[in-house]
Amino acid sequence: MVKLSIIAPLVYIVVLVGTLAVFSFLYRKRKANKAASLEPWFGPHYSRDIYLTLLHQENPKVPDSILKAALVRRATEDVRRVVTIRQAKSSLQQLLQRGSIGDDLWTRFTAAEAEIDEELKDVAMEANGFGSEWSASIFQTANEIVQATRIRERAAEVAEQAAAERAWWNEKRERASRELLGENNSDEDGVLVESSGPRGAARSGTTTQRKGKNAT
Amino acid sequence: MAQSSDVYIVAPIEMDPTTKTIQALPSSSNPFLARELEALNNLHRTLKSVPEITNGIPPPPTSVGPKRSAQIERMRQTGNAAFKKKNYSQAVDLYTLAISMALTRPPWEPSALLREELQQLYANRAQAHIGINNWPEALADVNASIDLKRVGNPKAHWRKGKCLKEMGRYEEAKEALEFGLEFGNDAELAHMLKEVNGILSKRQ
Repeated sequence: MVKLSIIAPLVYIVVLVGTLAVFSFLYRKRKANKAASLEPWFGPHYSRDIYLTLLHQENPKVPDSILKAALVRRATEDVRRVVTIRQAKSSLQQLLQRGSIGDDLWTRFTAAEAEIDEELKDVAMEANGFGSEWSASIFQTANEIVQATRIRERAAEVAEQAAAERAWWNEKRERASRELLGENNSDEDGVLVESSGPRGAARSGTTTQRKGKNAT
Repeated sequence: MAQSSDVYIVAPIEMDPTTKTIQALPSSSNPFLARELEALNNLHRTLKSVPEITNGIPPPPTSVGPKRSAQIERMRQTGNAAFKKKNYSQAVDLYTLAISMALTRPPWEPSALLREELQQLYANRAQAHIGINNWPEALADVNASIDLKRVGNPKAHWRKGKCLKEMGRYEEAKEALEFGLEFGNDAELAHMLKEVNGILSKRQ
């Protein structure tokens, strides 16, 4: 009886703790699996992979100048991601409070945020490895590159847009002149343009003054 | 999920030992990787081509190569001079040249400078196009100028209204002029808006 009275509580405790431990283990494993199966916020970070691959390439060794350029490219992508994260954060927080988005999305977001913090620190460290103080300016440089890329993309659209507008305008003029031909059967090609010509010229004369005044 | 900071995916790339360019292995056909590699090689080449950069590190965006700025400015002045002499197509060519010069600025230079130059050049080129009744081209140029600088750019807003009006797109002209007036009152913008409104009401 004495023996049993000691064993009984011990067995009870062991079974209880054991069950809890197994439950906790399984629960955590499932949660980790679920988190790991969540889609990452951003796609693959190519410039990071390229930089690290080049850094670890041995035969032949990649010259520093290429590594530096690759690091700048990596910082550029990071800046783009940081901007995306910052822009999304406040609206996502609001949506989460209102219950419009699920916890999964928020988990993905915070994970991406933590990841980018880590990434920025890593890039700053690498930059300082190449030249002291470079970490102070590498992200500024990267930011300018991001902006300049956007401006260049806009500039590239100009020619396309001009061609499209030109095609539309030519067609419109042709249609107008065909209608005119149909109506009067006369050969007054491009009447529409002609009529706007003098007005246009007169107006552009005045704007010459405008420009002359302000041209610097 | 979260990529740990010491883990990376080995990219299928190699270095050409003679040209020192990085290229994808023939087995890879990822267009994103190819684009990134192209950007990397371009950046590397640009960094190498600037003689002031000796350590391969782009200078902080506080410094600007003075030579290119001066060249662009000179080209713009020549364009302005041609415009004043009413050599509009010549002015268009000169502004085009200045634009392509501005676009070859090294990407790490202050982007605000590039933006300022381009909005000005596009607005000027639009005006030259307007001089020879090239409304479609002028419209494309002012659109770019306005996208680059909305506030304090009434001339571009005016020219946009002008182009649309001349092409008979009065509704759009009205919208463009009203949009321009949102950024501050301008007598000439208001004047043209009145004209356009007059035409629109007459049509109805």
